[in-house]
Amino acid sequence: MRVIELWYAILAFTLIVYLMLDGRNFGVGAIQRAVAKTPAERRQLALALGPLWPWHEVWLVVLGGVMFVAFPRVLAVSFTGYYLALYLVLWSLILRGIALEVTGYDEHPLWQEFWDFVFTASSVLLAILFGVALGNIARGVPVGPSGEFQMPFFTNFRTSGQVGLLDWYTVSMALFTLLALSAHGATYLTVKTEGPVCDRSRRLAHKLWILFCPALAAVFAETWIIHPNLLSGIGSRPLAIAPIVVAIAGAAMIARGLKYHRGGLAFTGSWLLLAGLLIAGAAAMFPTMLRSTLGDSNSLTAYNSAAGPTSLKVAAIWWPVAVALSLGYSLFILRQFRGKVPAGR
Amino acid sequence: MNSPMSDPAFWHRIQFAFTIIYHYLFPQLTMGLIGFIVFWKFKALRSGNPRYATAARFWTKIFGLNFAIGVVTGIPMEFQFGSNWAAFTRYSGEIIGQTLAMEGMFAFFLESAMILALVFGEKRFSPRGHFLVSLGVAIGSWASAYFILTTNAFMQHPTGYTAGADGLLHLQSFGQFLFNPWAIVEFAHNQAASLVTGAFVVTSLGAFYMLGVRHHDQARLYLKYGAAVGLFASVLVAFPTGDRQAKMVAKYQEVSLAAMEGRFQSGPEAELVLIGQPDVQNRKLDNPIIIPEALSFLAYGTFHSDVRGLGAFPENVWPGNIDLLYYSFHIMAGLGTLFIVVMALAVVYLLIGRLESNRFLLWVLMLAFPFPYIANTAGWMTAELGRQPWLIYGLFRTEQGYSKAATSGSTVFTLIGFCGLYLVLGFLFFYLIEREIEQGPEDEGD
Repeated sequence: MRVIELWYAILAFTLIVYLMLDGRNFGVGAIQRAVAKTPAERRQLALALGPLWPWHEVWLVVLGGVMFVAFPRVLAVSFTGYYLALYLVLWSLILRGIALEVTGYDEHPLWQEFWDFVFTASSVLLAILFGVALGNIARGVPVGPSGEFQMPFFTNFRTSGQVGLLDWYTVSMALFTLLALSAHGATYLTVKTEGPVCDRSRRLAHKLWILFCPALAAVFAETWIIHPNLLSGIGSRPLAIAPIVVAIAGAAMIARGLKYHRGGLAFTGSWLLLAGLLIAGAAAMFPTMLRSTLGDSNSLTAYNSAAGPTSLKVAAIWWPVAVALSLGYSLFILRQFRGKVPAGR
Repeated sequence: MNSPMSDPAFWHRIQFAFTIIYHYLFPQLTMGLIGFIVFWKFKALRSGNPRYATAARFWTKIFGLNFAIGVVTGIPMEFQFGSNWAAFTRYSGEIIGQTLAMEGMFAFFLESAMILALVFGEKRFSPRGHFLVSLGVAIGSWASAYFILTTNAFMQHPTGYTAGADGLLHLQSFGQFLFNPWAIVEFAHNQAASLVTGAFVVTSLGAFYMLGVRHHDQARLYLKYGAAVGLFASVLVAFPTGDRQAKMVAKYQEVSLAAMEGRFQSGPEAELVLIGQPDVQNRKLDNPIIIPEALSFLAYGTFHSDVRGLGAFPENVWPGNIDLLYYSFHIMAGLGTLFIVVMALAVVYLLIGRLESNRFLLWVLMLAFPFPYIANTAGWMTAELGRQPWLIYGLFRTEQGYSKAATSGSTVFTLIGFCGLYLVLGFLFFYLIEREIEQGPEDEGD
């Protein structure tokens, strides 16, 4: 049965890598207006995203693929259940991708203003939607005895029984995620840009990370209220404690990096902090994948949703090969694009 | 009462059909074009002649726009399996999930890492390095096609599976699944067809510039290679790939072959229908123009082979929409034949040095570019309508596959959303493509 645990870990890894990589781009989009004041500065920002944002997005496609091959039941139940929210994500991704692709094709200022706005709006919406998704994973969804669910956007804003996509907990998780990814994006810009954009990003990152501390405490407290076992699960599992320690170290690196203008240190810290929190969450959830708010016996777990052993074993052979190749390509490209993006003409 | 529109499956099918047909307008061009781009970059590297580098650079911009729309319209495809076809996902997910995941991991990762470096990063690489980038995109996009066609091949002709006691399909032989004979034939046929689209578009623009007396040197290059590849690929689509594909259908989907041909009665020395209108109610074909005995030969290799008609099969295994299937197949096959004729003429005039002065033929070539798109779409409609009423041929019916928990209201809502969004994407695409064509290949700064 060890192969099922391996695939749970691979799924968590893929989700977290996607959120960290593309979350950086959502964060940059969300703070675009605050740190880039002129069209030239906004071009500098777009260049700072680098040549790999399509590669970041593919991690989401890979996440779908991993669910497909390893946990087809979870894929079928959750994507049908989150039907409308899923389409909002897909449409926002279409708009975000188009905005990034076409802005540079025309020099007209109105063209640029329009697509910069689309980029910001879709990025904010995506950060919020993925935050809602994380909130839903922690809170649970109304999986009935039939093993399916269909959830409206909202019901009564309470967190038990026939819940909707949005309630007080998932909304606060959404705002928290928007804050965290904005801080992550701002920290990235301190690494990748020079000039006024870099200075504004550093000041903004500083403010956002200070706000992050009480927000994190609030989210912990709320999670304690709606799902006490999740947090006590962290205490009893070494695999959940270790990433918390890493996250604390990350927080220290952010503080030091921003203070001494060492962007690389701060951005590494940002990665460690956010990824550490997410890994701890995934380890504490195990083996639950879709928690039911209508009784634990309805929940989808890694054990009752996994694919057959042959399928899991075959995929466990090619999966690491593909990841290694993928990292190889991305490094080959990144090497040619290293260095800061200077302030525009 | 029993209008198809009151059936939730109808809306799930329409949404999938609309989004996949729209999506595939873009990859069929990019998969064909990338071959030209890699070839011209290779020629530029070897000869140092700047005309090849200019051609590669210009077509890379056209490629980039098509690729962008292809990517953004492609992402919803994978996710619709889970949201709209949950029962199908659950039933066969661990098998088709293999290739869907491999497409992401082996193909999309490669393409997505290289694409922006290909389109915007030429100055950052050495010519050799940038050639490698284009090769990476080429391998990625063709590998992607193989993985997705293997997924489709499993739906057309399932192999490598075992039906479990839990009522779900399980993987038995990864090799048999990944190297499904249907997948190999389908891949060859489909990729040849994408080269046809690429070649017609390249030729069309060459003819446009030639007729407009602009970018003369580039226009000659596009006409020369476009026509040569166009003829080669058009022949490949018909023979051997199309022929092998038809024999596969005759062997494994006999009832689909009967429907594609509008053949109701069984019998030997079956005729091939060129034109005619099927009348399903009265089980006959109106106004037929035929080639005697040809269908027997094409399907089974002898002129007297028995080809069974629809009447030999119970109606509950007939493809649901025989009329549309029949027309799709005939449009594909008819256009495919015309492509060979047009490109053969172009090559003959090219060889005798008269193509540039033959304005009529240039007009034909310029206006021909939409037809490969129509033929590709009709070909896919033939494959997918012919698979009906099955989602996985012989194992699982389409009406079993959709998400029971998703309401029709939600599906209609998302279908309307896609219509609006894709309309905007279409306008945007034409605007940007028109700018690039207007600007042309030679005027760009280096």
